Amino acid sequence: MKTYRERMHYYGRIFTVLGIVAMIAVPFSIWFFSGVAPNVNDLFAGVLVLSVLYLPGGIIEVLTYGPILGTSGTYLAFITGNLVNLKIPCVMNAKDIAGTEINTEENEIVSTIAVAFSSITTVLIMSFGVMMLLPLKPILESELLAPAFNTVVSALFGALGYKYFKGNLKLVIAPLIFVIILSLVAPSFVYNNIVIVILLAAIVTILVARVLWVKKLL
Amino acid sequence: MNFLVANVNEIKDAWWLYLIGGFITLFIIGGSLFFARKAYKRSIELNFPKEKIKKTIITSISFSILPSIGIFIGVITMSGLLGIPLPWIRLSVLGALHYELMAVDIAANGVSVTTLTAENFVTISFVMTIAILWGSLFALFFFKKYQEKFVDKVDAKDKKSFSNLIFQSVFIGLISAYFGDAFAKMINYQVKEVVDGAYTGELIDQTTYIPLVVFVTSFVFMAIFDFLVKKLNQKWLENFQLSLSMIFGMALAVILS
Repeated sequence: MKTYRERMHYYGRIFTVLGIVAMIAVPFSIWFFSGVAPNVNDLFAGVLVLSVLYLPGGIIEVLTYGPILGTSGTYLAFITGNLVNLKIPCVMNAKDIAGTEINTEENEIVSTIAVAFSSITTVLIMSFGVMMLLPLKPILESELLAPAFNTVVSALFGALGYKYFKGNLKLVIAPLIFVIILSLVAPSFVYNNIVIVILLAAIVTILVARVLWVKKLL
Repeated sequence: MNFLVANVNEIKDAWWLYLIGGFITLFIIGGSLFFARKAYKRSIELNFPKEKIKKTIITSISFSILPSIGIFIGVITMSGLLGIPLPWIRLSVLGALHYELMAVDIAANGVSVTTLTAENFVTISFVMTIAILWGSLFALFFFKKYQEKFVDKVDAKDKKSFSNLIFQSVFIGLISAYFGDAFAKMINYQVKEVVDGAYTGELIDQTTYIPLVVFVTSFVFMAIFDFLVKKLNQKWLENFQLSLSMIFGMALAVILS
């Protein structure tokens, strides 16, 4: 008999194939219904340029976040998207509250439920927003609220940061110094290439952790 | 019925595009409920406490509301150029505002709401969809192998093992990177100007200390709530402390601006 995880790989792959087909069906439907074909040259050039940027990013994301998201959580999150700004912190938070450890069956359950309900919340809010666009647009676009929603990611990681920084003070100092120096030297690199900065900061933290672990200082 | 319309303004807000958006939404809700149900059934087999499942659901929903409103604002930003349904669809599945804007820029360089053609619109929709699929394709073909060959070698239950520290380090790296993001915006923050959902090619100086203040404020409020939950036994706050800390941080951004 197949294990729970094997079954989740099976269903997850089916879901991924269906998701990719549904996504690709969108531009083809637009082509079909409108009768207007895409410009092939612009299409290939556009896909090529964006793929150079997003292919390594996509691979890095699966390798980095896959273990955190768990089996079905990974397949779900890699179709529903908004990984780093929503699904990952959501799973981190749920994992802390439920008190589960990564790569355990309990964590599979918690991360799957977290990703699933986070995805449902997002698409429901989006659909509600589309339906209520006329009354909502002036409120959400107002000058007054703009700073709040421009800083939602900083608020999210600041709040989440407390839990992770509190218990790991020895590990936090090096990556913080690293990102501060990087920000002073090349600020635009930091806010334009956040996936790479995450990877670099993670590597710095892992190296420090290794040194402290070997010296039995952790 | 004749669907064939070559006028871009009719295409970008066509009813059938809304229908496709509705279908995508139902697909995501259906898929999410399917996996959540499988996980719930498994939790019963493992005697995993129901209370924790309930907590996970409440905290995940309350946590996701604010970022989701932020994502929806992306739909409004892009709607000037592309209408409502395409941005709605793109940001519901594997989308991100900066990626979509870049796709518009690359697929139809220099296009504006007055010069957008039906061909531009169709091309943009193809480019946006295809180039973002790499992560999903990689997960589809390699995630299982990666899990067996690497992730399973890590014994996460052993708190003292180095492998457990790797995951902690990735989290800390992630949070540090966003601290860096807020810090860098205080040093020098140039933003590409967006008018009617497309880049104009102009840069605007938006250097600001506000993201850093918001980061620190949310951090401090989280510490206060943590104290209330753990020391003063206000357990009800546990599921909402993250959302509330974010609201206080974001409210300060409004006040400071």
